[in-house]
Amino acid sequence: MFYRQSGVHHTRYQTARRLWPLPTDQGIVWLLLALAVAAPLYLSDLYLTSYLLPWLIWSAAALSLTLLMGIAGQLHFGFAAVMAIGAYTSIHLTRAGVPFELALIGAGLMAAGIGCIFGAAALRVKGLYLVMATLAMQYLVDWTIINVPAISGGAQATLQTPDVRFLFVPLRGDAMLYYGALLWAVIVTLLVLNIKRTSFGRALVAVRDKDFAASVIGVNPFKFKLLAFFASSFLGGVSGAVLAFCYYQAVTPEQFGFNVSIQLVAMVLVGGLGSVIGAYLGAGFVLLVPIILTNLVAGAAAAGWLSVSSNLLAHIPLMVYGGLIIGFILFEPLGLAKIYDNLRKYFLVWPFRHTQS
Amino acid sequence: MADQQAAGSGGQVLVCENVSRWFGGLQALKRIDVAINQGEIFGLVGPNGSGKTTLVNAITGFYPPQEGIIRFYDSTLNGLKPYKVAMQGIARTFQNVALFKGMSVLDNILLGRHIFMRPSALASLFYWWWAQKEEIAHREKAEEIIDLLQLESVRDEPVDVIPLGMQKRVELARALCAEPKFLVLDEPMAGMNQEEKEYMVRFILDAQEALGLTVLLIEHHMDVVTAICDRVVVLNNGEKIAEGPAREAINDPAVVAAYIGKSHDAA
Repeated sequence: MFYRQSGVHHTRYQTARRLWPLPTDQGIVWLLLALAVAAPLYLSDLYLTSYLLPWLIWSAAALSLTLLMGIAGQLHFGFAAVMAIGAYTSIHLTRAGVPFELALIGAGLMAAGIGCIFGAAALRVKGLYLVMATLAMQYLVDWTIINVPAISGGAQATLQTPDVRFLFVPLRGDAMLYYGALLWAVIVTLLVLNIKRTSFGRALVAVRDKDFAASVIGVNPFKFKLLAFFASSFLGGVSGAVLAFCYYQAVTPEQFGFNVSIQLVAMVLVGGLGSVIGAYLGAGFVLLVPIILTNLVAGAAAAGWLSVSSNLLAHIPLMVYGGLIIGFILFEPLGLAKIYDNLRKYFLVWPFRHTQS
Repeated sequence: MADQQAAGSGGQVLVCENVSRWFGGLQALKRIDVAINQGEIFGLVGPNGSGKTTLVNAITGFYPPQEGIIRFYDSTLNGLKPYKVAMQGIARTFQNVALFKGMSVLDNILLGRHIFMRPSALASLFYWWWAQKEEIAHREKAEEIIDLLQLESVRDEPVDVIPLGMQKRVELARALCAEPKFLVLDEPMAGMNQEEKEYMVRFILDAQEALGLTVLLIEHHMDVVTAICDRVVVLNNGEKIAEGPAREAINDPAVVAAYIGKSHDAA
C-alpha cells in the first residue's frame, strides 16, 4: 500500500544499481539520516552519549567484522584485539603530535598490518582452525598491550585521550563527539554497501561461496582473502580509535578483552551475516537489550510484581538475554536483518502474498 | 619447436603432449596427446572414470600434470595456477554446477568480467567517482551475453532458486562473459531433459559462431556429440583409444568394447 514495487522501472543501469532502487527505501534512509543528524536537538545528553553514540560506533565495528565474516566468509574471534591496536595506535600518535586525521589512518594501517599477519593463517586453514588462529591473536595482542609499558603506560594504567581537532573542529562536547561517531558510521556504511555492489565485493563473495569456481574465472583466492582481512582490520582499527576518542575518552586493556570479541561476533550473527542493516540491529540488540531487560526486571521487582531474591534478580536479565539469542538462532538463523527483510517484502506486494527476489 | 608446431598444423589452439597424471598409485592419465584446432568443437568422451575431467583439470591448472606439456597458443600452461590460466583466455564450466549461491544471476554473470575489472575497496568507497563507470561498462557487456543466452527473465533471481537447466545456462553465460578464446564445457547437458538439451546445443553453437570460440566439450549424450563435434577423442582408463571425426571414432571397435564390453566378456 505505502511501499510499492510496482511502477518502478529503471531504464538506465546507473539507477538500477543505486544503493536503494525503490523510492520508499530512499525516503526511509533520508528520514533516518535526518533524525540522526538532529538527534542532539531532541535527545537528552544521557541518551545521546550513553545509548546512541556507542550504538553507532559498535555498529561501525560490527560492519567492519561483517565485511570479513559475512561477505568474505572468514571467521574472526579476535576482532576486539584489532580495535585495541587501532585505539592504542591513535592515542600514541596524537600524543606524539600527529594530526588526528593522520592518526586515524595510522591506526587503521597498524591494525590492518597486524590483522593481515594473523589473517594469513586463513590462506591455509578454514573454519574452526581459523577461529583458533584469530583467538591466538586476541590473547597475544592482549598480553603484549598489558605487559609492554610503552604501549599501555604500565600495569593497570589508563591512557587519557588528548584534546584533538578533526578537520579544524575541536572534538569536544557531547554534540561534537556524537557527530564524529555519526560521520564514521556513515562512512563505513556507505563503504560496505558499495563493496557489496562492485567487483571487489563480488570477488569476496565468490571466494566465500566456492573458491575453486572463483579461481576458474580469474579471482585469486589468496589475494582476496588477504584483502578482506586488510580492509576489515583497517575499518576495525579506525573504529577502535573512534571508540576511544569519542566514547571512552581513555583506554585500558580491559575495554578490548576476549568477551568484547564474542560480543562483536554475537552482533554480527544476531543481526544477520553480511547484512548492513543487520549490523545496526545486531549492535543495538547486544548493547541495548540487556539494559532494557535489567530496567524491566528491576521495575517489576520494585513494583512488587516479582518477589525474588536480589541475587536472582541480577541474573534474570542475563537468562532472558541468552534465551533470546538461542531463540533467534533457532527460529531465524539469518538474523534480525532477515526478519526486517520478510516484513519489507510483505509490504512490497501487499495485498498479494508473493514477491520476486 | 613451438613455432614449427603452430605454423605446421594450421592454427592449433591447445596442444597436450604426453600428459600424465597420477593420484597416488593410480595413473589417471597415460601419456595423452591431444591437439585442438582453431574454431572447432572438440569432443572428449569415454566411460565414467576414464580421465576426461582429470584432463580438463590438468589443462585448467587444478591438477597440474606430472609429466608432459600443455601448450595454449604460444605459451605453456604447466604450473600455472587456475586463476592465471583463466587470465590466458580459457574459461570452463563444471560437471556439477559451480555457481555462487549467495548471489543473483546477474552478479554471477558479472563475475565473469572479473579479469577485466580493477576491484579495490578504495574504488568502492568512492563509487560515484571511481567505480560506477567501470561497473556500467561491464554491465553492458554482461547484458549482451544475457541477451545471447536468453536469460532476461531470471536476471534478478537468486541463483539457487532457478531450475537446473537454467543454472547450467547461467554458468555458460559466466564463462562467456570472460570473452574466452577457448571454452571448456564439462558435461553441460548432464541431468537435462530433451528440450533443455536442444536449447543448450543451440546456445553452444550460437556462442561459438558469435564469439569465434574454440570449444572442448565433455559429454555423455552421443546424439549431441555426433551432431555438433568436429572431432572427438575417446578415453578409457586414462588412455586414448580412438580419435577422429565423431561418428567414426564412436563406432571404433575399441570404443564399443570400452562402453559395452567385448563379446567374450559376456557370461
